[in-house]
Amino acid sequence: MTAAEAAPIVVEGVSKRYETPSGAVTAVDGVSFTVRPGEFVSLLGPSGCGKSTVLLMIGGLVRPDAGRIVIEGEPSSGPNPKKVALAFQDPGLFPWRTALDNVGFGLELQGLPAARRREIALGLLEPMGLKGFEAKFPRELSGGMRQRVAIARALALDTPILLMDEPFGALDEQTRLLMGEWLVGVRRRTRRTIVFVTHSLQEAIALSDRILVMTARPGRVKDVIEVPLPFPRDLGSPEVADLRAKLWGQVREESLRAMESSA
Amino acid sequence: MKLWLGRAVVLVVALLAWEAVARSLDPILYVGPSRLPAALGRVLSVRDLPPLGSHLWLTLGEVVAAFLLAVASGLWVGFVLGLQKTLGRIYEPLLAVLYAVPSVIWYPSLMLFFGLGPASKIAFGFLLGFLPVTLAVLAGIRQVPESLVTVAVSMGAGPGAVFRKVMLPAMAGTLAGGLRTGLALSVVGVLVGEVLGARAGLGYVLTYAYGLLMTAEYAALVVIVAAAVLTVDALGALVEARVRRWAD
Amino acid sequence: MGRLAVLRWQALSVAVAFLAWEAAVRVGLLDPLFVPAPSMVLHALPSLAAEALPRLLDTFGKTALGYAIAAAVGVPAGLLLGSRRLLHDVAMPYVVALYGVPKILILPWIALVFGIGLSTAVLSAAVFAVFPIVVLVAAGARDVDPTLVTVAVSMGATRGQIGRKVLLPAVLPSVLTGLRIAMVFAILGVLLAEMLAGHRGMGYLMQRQAMAFKAPELFASTAIVSALSVSVVLFLEHLNRRLGQWR
Repeated sequence: MTAAEAAPIVVEGVSKRYETPSGAVTAVDGVSFTVRPGEFVSLLGPSGCGKSTVLLMIGGLVRPDAGRIVIEGEPSSGPNPKKVALAFQDPGLFPWRTALDNVGFGLELQGLPAARRREIALGLLEPMGLKGFEAKFPRELSGGMRQRVAIARALALDTPILLMDEPFGALDEQTRLLMGEWLVGVRRRTRRTIVFVTHSLQEAIALSDRILVMTARPGRVKDVIEVPLPFPRDLGSPEVADLRAKLWGQVREESLRAMESSA
Repeated sequence: MKLWLGRAVVLVVALLAWEAVARSLDPILYVGPSRLPAALGRVLSVRDLPPLGSHLWLTLGEVVAAFLLAVASGLWVGFVLGLQKTLGRIYEPLLAVLYAVPSVIWYPSLMLFFGLGPASKIAFGFLLGFLPVTLAVLAGIRQVPESLVTVAVSMGAGPGAVFRKVMLPAMAGTLAGGLRTGLALSVVGVLVGEVLGARAGLGYVLTYAYGLLMTAEYAALVVIVAAAVLTVDALGALVEARVRRWAD
Repeated sequence: MGRLAVLRWQALSVAVAFLAWEAAVRVGLLDPLFVPAPSMVLHALPSLAAEALPRLLDTFGKTALGYAIAAAVGVPAGLLLGSRRLLHDVAMPYVVALYGVPKILILPWIALVFGIGLSTAVLSAAVFAVFPIVVLVAAGARDVDPTLVTVAVSMGATRGQIGRKVLLPAVLPSVLTGLRIAMVFAILGVLLAEMLAGHRGMGYLMQRQAMAFKAPELFASTAIVSALSVSVVLFLEHLNRRLGQWR
């Protein structure tokens, strides 16, 4: 098996066009990249650059108009709950289910018996600091807690690949930083392949092995930046400062372009 | 464009189905849309039915009277309960209980007290229209953002000015909605009163036709009155939309 | 002001109102022929109870039947309208327009076709109650958070699973609200039908009492029906709260 075949995710020249009242819009234009096993890759770019669309295509929720996505050697044709799990910016917890029942949802779909679901769910909630909250409803939880439950729900599927679309975007800064640290811990324990969409340089630098910078619409891969720093990362170090300056140079250009085109 | 086509299709299909069903059943009881225009002509020509015009005016007058009474008292009670917090805490739940009582319960008592004339219809229309107005005032006051009031007070505005310049504009939209509902319910109240027992008015003409088994004319009358009611409500909706746009 | 104090004031106000009413009649301000004193109403209550009981059962029986029909028709219709975008945009204006037409207008016709008695009252209740159900259920079906559906799809849920495990629980609060509001309308429909064309039930009784100027009996009947109606609605609201603890 060659290196490419062992890759969990291969994105080959995907494009996506949308029809809007004001005409056709190309959200994604010929994006290609490969994700290595156990890697944490961030898709970084301004709003509207198509990074979420790329993620949804990898997750099988959106079909590319051109190109294809290959997950663990097989072309993707739709949602793949055995291989790919997703977490969104809106936690999307079912308000009528307790935290425990939310986490067990995917397993319930697959027909796992209740006792087993409970066991797995509790096992995921406890290291997240949510022990004692499993019987609470989403309305009784804070934003950060809800997002943790949503991520636990995604982790419960025990998939090799985890896709996350700005999961910490709706949280305040302190919570974001803490959640970032927590995610690093989760990753270290579970060794999954993670693709993470963000518009925050800080987040990308703190969490990723590799950062893909995307252009403004139509979205293409502008640059690929390796982040070979060890975890846990010292965000005040000179390497990080260098990296941030380099990234900002790339991203700033695209952000300006995005702002102008939407004005 | 496609939407209007779809709606037109639904209308045509419904009319055709109605016609088909009506034709297959007893013509005395079931009237298809094809018989309506002729019946309408008969209704308007005042041959076998009382003159529509004068009855229409009477009903209109009753509605206006009922609505004005409902608005005046609804606004008054609403503001008293809404601005005086303690009074509101005591009496608003009592008002809410009234909402759970089907309005028509009062009708026999009102008929007993006011007789069969316009007074009982106005009373009934007033009773139905009063509650939505009051509740709208209370809701409107509640949803005025505290921050706006704070800003005004910090600039030295007294209670009168705060009321006129902050509260009223902020609640205008909700109030307009309440008035619109109050109007719709006043209309219903008056009509119900006229159908249940009257000697004049649109409802009376309706029961007159029904009593004489003039089903076609009755159907035509229903269409007229329904159209009139919908028009009134549409006007109300327009006014409400205007007010809401101005208030924002 | 604490809850207890509020309750005390409420009770006090109601008591004072009744006392003032009683006084007004005794003093001659109100004509007892039209507005009987509360004492007279209370006096009429026991003898009324015997006659009222079967009629109450009759009225509320018809209400239950009409309500059941309205729910059986209205809930599926609302779900259908709310979930299919095209159907909703095309058909909803008509539903709303029909909702805005006072149903009293077709009541005489229903009485004409179905005669005096059970069917008219049941049908009337159904017609009055079905509209709020359809409108509220449709709104609830439309408002289902699309993220919830996306989450289920991403986890490989089948259409059946999405319907059962996501759409149904999401729509339930609106269905319950619609059912709760429709109850008052159903009672309204039955009473109207009884007053217009009935020979049993409380509506008919009340109309007859009014015609015969039996004011104390009429007020007593009004009180009984109001009390029952309020109880039913309060019960439904309580049910609503119990079932919706997660909101």
